[in-house]
Amino acid sequence: MGKIVAFHSYKGGTGKTLLSINVAATYAKMDKNICLLDMDFRAPSLQAAFKTEGNGYWLNDYLNGVCEIKRALVDLHNPHGGNGKFFVGLANPSTEAIREMSAKDRKWEMRALGRLLSLRNSLLNDMHLDYVILDTSPGLQYSSINAIVAADVALVVTSLDASDIKGTQRMTHELYDLFEKKTGIVVNKVPAEILCSTAEKEKFFKHVHNIHNLPVLDVIACSCDVLRAGGTCIFAEEKPEHPFTKTLERIAQKIEKF
Amino acid sequence: MRQTHPEIAMVTLYKSLQGKSTRVLEKIANSLDQLNEKIDVLIELQKHSRGGIVDESLTDVLDVMTLLSLPDHLRKTAVTLCKLGQATAEEIAEQTRRARAVESGYLNQLVLMGYLKKERRGRKAYFYVEKEASGEKPWEK
Repeated sequence: MGKIVAFHSYKGGTGKTLLSINVAATYAKMDKNICLLDMDFRAPSLQAAFKTEGNGYWLNDYLNGVCEIKRALVDLHNPHGGNGKFFVGLANPSTEAIREMSAKDRKWEMRALGRLLSLRNSLLNDMHLDYVILDTSPGLQYSSINAIVAADVALVVTSLDASDIKGTQRMTHELYDLFEKKTGIVVNKVPAEILCSTAEKEKFFKHVHNIHNLPVLDVIACSCDVLRAGGTCIFAEEKPEHPFTKTLERIAQKIEKF
Repeated sequence: MRQTHPEIAMVTLYKSLQGKSTRVLEKIANSLDQLNEKIDVLIELQKHSRGGIVDESLTDVLDVMTLLSLPDHLRKTAVTLCKLGQATAEEIAEQTRRARAVESGYLNQLVLMGYLKKERRGRKAYFYVEKEASGEKPWEK
């Protein structure tokens, strides 16, 4: 039985999309059957990242009850070197669609939750996928909370920003705990000097664990290469020996055992 | 010593009465079980209606914000039902590992609060959020 994994954060810009794309690509390289869904309907980004025009159907259509989930998936034919299937579900990036999704009422959100929950059957059971990865929008948006409820595992990507740490603490306590969700922390953009030795790294892991009282999957050093790539490079595919890729491989393995 | 005809008749009559009384006792036991179950539901409903947890502004829509506002015990039942689409109290109890009668009480409370719907099919009561969520596919219409 596969897993649904949601990448979430309290604040924007922590690196959820970068991590979810690269973790999906890492699994694809490991011959896993993958589906990556763009649940950030306010700022869709997977279309640009995968340089695809889509197939005329969007995740928006699936949640609106216009089509079944298979129609809204783009088959990437696994360009990432593995033998597994690699599907991506895109959020409609048009301003009209973003505006429309922002104006949905509570009844629509309730139905959207039902449709997200039924993905377990259609994607994991019927299509035999190993992982469904949900890239969510930051904070307590309807779409993000729906994704969290539908997921088996929630990974919170945080930075060292004080407001992000406080907000993440509150969010994990007041949201994740209430839904009894398996939760892990990934700290991104950590200054390299904090992780300069194994001893320092271990000390930092303990520090983060004490802050959030949750398992810390990994801490990712701030990398100029990643910033320079500007979201156009899938490191897991294009730079297999890069330290960032190695960290992603560790995260992917930890998710498997989570 | 061989039994006479009246004795055989008496034994047959006794056995027949014994069989009937067993069936009657079984029926009474079943009825008591059902009654017990209904009393459990009423006790649960009464227990939870004291807290004033029904918020008029949330009535009818079981979205994630409503789920967050529910007390823990009802949230667990409601989330489990959302995941299953539609279910009996027994099916919910299998998932939550709580007693069937307890889940029956919680489900009925959620029905009274307007978040769930209930439908009887034969002897079983099925609960669901919406028809569509329980398996209907709108794109096939």
